[in-house]
Amino acid sequence: MAFEATDRNELRSKLEEYANTGDKELRDEIVASQVGLAEYLARRFKNRGEPIEDLIQVALLGLLKAVERFDPSRGLEFSTFATPTIVGELKRHFRDKGWAVRVPRRVQELHLRMGTVVNSLSQELGRSPTIPEIAQRAEVSVDEVLEAMEAGRAYRFSSIDTPAGEDEDRAQSPAAGQLGEDDTGLEEVEQRMLLSPLIASLPKREQMIIHLRFFRGMTQSEIAARLGISQMHVSRLLARSLAQLRDRAGAEAAPG
Amino acid sequence: MPGEQNGLDERDEQLRTGGDVRLVVPASPEYLRLVRLTAAGMASRLGFTFDEVEDLRIAVDELCFHLLGDDDVVPSDEERTMDLIYSAGADSITITGRTALSGAVPEQSELSEQILDALVDEHEVTGGTNGTVTFRLKKQRES
Repeated sequence: MAFEATDRNELRSKLEEYANTGDKELRDEIVASQVGLAEYLARRFKNRGEPIEDLIQVALLGLLKAVERFDPSRGLEFSTFATPTIVGELKRHFRDKGWAVRVPRRVQELHLRMGTVVNSLSQELGRSPTIPEIAQRAEVSVDEVLEAMEAGRAYRFSSIDTPAGEDEDRAQSPAAGQLGEDDTGLEEVEQRMLLSPLIASLPKREQMIIHLRFFRGMTQSEIAARLGISQMHVSRLLARSLAQLRDRAGAEAAPG
Repeated sequence: MPGEQNGLDERDEQLRTGGDVRLVVPASPEYLRLVRLTAAGMASRLGFTFDEVEDLRIAVDELCFHLLGDDDVVPSDEERTMDLIYSAGADSITITGRTALSGAVPEQSELSEQILDALVDEHEVTGGTNGTVTFRLKKQRES
């Protein structure tokens, strides 16, 4: 990672310009030029059971925060400033999901099994099942069911789109197209929020789920039925989307 | 006001014996898991459905995270606690909480409001005196 003096000067002048103008395009350009640093730091955290692509995503978020918060007038090198910010983001990522990684295998398995249990009970009962009903069907305790619900958050950033022991991604493509159809009668507020860059940055299907749950008031089980995926999957996607929205809102709001 | 934030006395009176639960955790997002689990446990005892328990968990998380903030931006304060009371009604659960704030009451985004509106029946955040903030969430069971 030898950094030529000219590159360094160019970076410095771009950062100064960004600090003055807040130009988002310039910011993205700076981020793009520093992707190597983010990747380098992300790799230091591999072998901890997280896919490297996810770690790079987290590191890039840290990089974005660093660019937004960097104050050129303090005379620090950008990399000196950015490294702890990016490492902090990576550490926080592991810490946030730290407990979940240590979730016993049987709880993880129950979490996956619950996808099927919740779906079939919902169909039989014609409503969302209660927790004791799920526990009884799965032949586990209520506490274990609650623990397994929490385990969904372990998937926060991991690749849940590769089905883990559960065939739950069959109807992926219809979902992506449906948001457009539904848009016709949007309220003004709704439209503004849905079109905000924050939400638009999410994968199409997650935008769809946010839209249906929070703007259309559909329940998780209704959304699951509509999209043809399990309710546990809807639950995981919601948790993940909200976490990402928060992270990004945090990055946007950070003092520049 | 970290360190001085033990003024729970007046609320002790509110803590009815009828199955109410009180939880005090360090004011850090790391402890939100306990806050969610307690909510879920209480709601499941009241016969809430999976859908409803999920909604409650997400709402608690959304609101508490909003108040505790991103501890990357606002460093966690070991002294600071969040104090919650989970009250069981006949067919509803009410969660009230209080925590000290290091700054002003964080402004809730429109999206966050919308999310909470969709998930629970009532929610409010009130900036109190002495740098504390209180909140209340209520979720009704459907049937």
